[in-house]
Amino acid sequence: MDAYILAVESSCDETSMAIVKNGKEVIGQSIATQIDTHALYGGVVPEIASRMHTEAITFVLEDVLKKANMKIEDMDAIAVTYAPGLTGSLIVGIEAAKALAFIYNKPLIAVNHLIGHIFANNIEDKMEYPMLALIVSGGHTELLIMEDDFNFKKLGETLDDAIGECYDKVARVLDLKYPGGPNVEKLAKEGKPSYQLPQPVLDDTYNFSYSGLKSAIINLVHNEKQKGLEINKADLARSFQEVAVNELVRKVEKAFRETNIKRLVVAGGVSANGYLKEEMEKLCDKYQAKLLIPRLLYCTDNAAMIGAAAYPLYLKKQFSDYTLNASSSGDIC
Amino acid sequence: MYCLYIDTHFSNLVIAILRDGKVVEEKVIESAKHSQYTMNLIQEVMRDCNVVIDDIKEIIIINGPGSFTGVRIGVVIAKIMGYTKNIILKPISYLQAASLSYDEEILLGLADKNGVFAGKFNKEHMLVDDYFYVSNKDDNKLKITLVADKIDIAKVYAFLKDKPGVLPHNLKPLYIKKLEVQHD
Repeated sequence: MDAYILAVESSCDETSMAIVKNGKEVIGQSIATQIDTHALYGGVVPEIASRMHTEAITFVLEDVLKKANMKIEDMDAIAVTYAPGLTGSLIVGIEAAKALAFIYNKPLIAVNHLIGHIFANNIEDKMEYPMLALIVSGGHTELLIMEDDFNFKKLGETLDDAIGECYDKVARVLDLKYPGGPNVEKLAKEGKPSYQLPQPVLDDTYNFSYSGLKSAIINLVHNEKQKGLEINKADLARSFQEVAVNELVRKVEKAFRETNIKRLVVAGGVSANGYLKEEMEKLCDKYQAKLLIPRLLYCTDNAAMIGAAAYPLYLKKQFSDYTLNASSSGDIC
Repeated sequence: MYCLYIDTHFSNLVIAILRDGKVVEEKVIESAKHSQYTMNLIQEVMRDCNVVIDDIKEIIIINGPGSFTGVRIGVVIAKIMGYTKNIILKPISYLQAASLSYDEEILLGLADKNGVFAGKFNKEHMLVDDYFYVSNKDDNKLKITLVADKIDIAKVYAFLKDKPGVLPHNLKPLYIKKLEVQHD
C-alpha cells in the first residue's frame, strides 16, 4: 500500500514542507527561504531565524497542500527534523508537526537532518548497500559506511571546523556576500591555484581538519594587507577550493581502496558545489564506483529529503511521542 | 462551546479548557520544559474533559511577552490548530490578561533575568502607549507592579468574548525586546 508522508524541516534558515509518496516521489514541496534577511547580517542570526519560521509556518503548510492537491487527512504520517540544527528553529517545525499529528491522529516520525541529506539521494536515484556516505555541510564533515537504511559506521569526521563553515569564513575574508560557499565557488572559476596553502591532515586516518586551512587564509589576507599588497581573490578562492576538496577526495579514495565498497553518496549543502562534484566524478570513474549526488534542489535544506528518510522509519513503525525535543547536535552514530 | 487556553510564555505551563466561559479544567506544570510538555498537556486536558479537536471553537493564546522560545511553542500550536480546523484564535498579552485583576490604571511588569517587560493599562484594561522593556542596568524610577497572581482565565474569556479573532497566518508572538543585532 502507498504511504504518504508530510515532512517538515526548519533546522536552519529555510522553512520547508513536502508530501512524499513511498519515500521516493515528491508530490509537492514548499520552501520559504530567509537567505536575503540573514545576508544583511553576514550570516544566520538564530533568533531571527526562529521568528521567521514562526511567521512562515502556516503559509508553507498552505502552499504544500495546494501544490500537492492533497489534504492532511490523506497522510499516513507526519515527519519532522529534530536534530541537528539551531534549537530555536527546530522547535518551530517540531511543534507544528506535533500539532498536525495530534489534530489528525497520525504517527509522528523524528528524522535526523543529516540522514535526511543522505536520503535526498534516494528521491531520484536508488541507494544500494553497502555504500560510503560523505556528509559535507556548514556543520558537518564526515565519512560513513551505511550497511542498510538504519546502520551507520563512522570512518572519520572533522576534528574542528566543517568544510562549509570554512567556505563561509573564506567568503567573509574575501568580502563576498552571504551565503559564502556558492560565491567562493563562482569566484574560484576565474582564478588559478597560485597560492601555496597547507594540506589539512596528513595523517593516515579518515579524519578531516579545516581550521588550519582557515587560519592560513585569514593570516595570508591579513599579512598582504599589512604589506599593502593586493590579494588576487579569484586565485585565493581557487587555491582554497582545491586544497579543501582534494582532502575530501583523498579520504574517499582511501575508503575505496580499504573497504572495497564501490558506491558513494555525497550529501549536505556543500554537495551543491560543482567542483566537488567534478572531482568526485573523476574519482568514481577511476575506481568504477557508482556516485550519487542529489540535484541542486535536494542538496540544500528541503523537506522532501526528510520525507524520504522518514519512509524506512515508517515501515519499521519507529514513531515518536509528543515529548520529542530539538537537539542542536545529532550524531548519526 | 469549548475554548482551549494556552499559556507557554514563561516557566509555568498552563493549559485549560473552558465551556461557555467557565473553566472546566486547568492544569499547570511548574518550571516545565515547554517543548516536551505542551502538546502532551493539551492532549491530557482535552482527554480529561472528553473534548476532541472538532469541539474546540476558540483558542485563547498568551502570545507574550516572556521566553521567546516558550511563547513560540504555544503560538505555533495555536496557528496550526487555527489554520487546519478554522478555530478562532484570540491572542492576548500576559500583561493585559493580568491587568484584568486591577480596577485602576496600572503599570504592570514581568521580570526576566535581565530586566522587566512592562505595559501601562487604563481602567478599561486597554494598553496606554506601547509595551517596553527596561534593562536592570538602566536607572529605572518607574513604579512597575510585577505580576504575581495567577491569571483569572474566566475573566480573560469574558474580556475577549466580543473581540474579533486573528487569522492564523497573522498570529504573531509579542516579543517587545529588541534583538542585539537590531540595535542601531
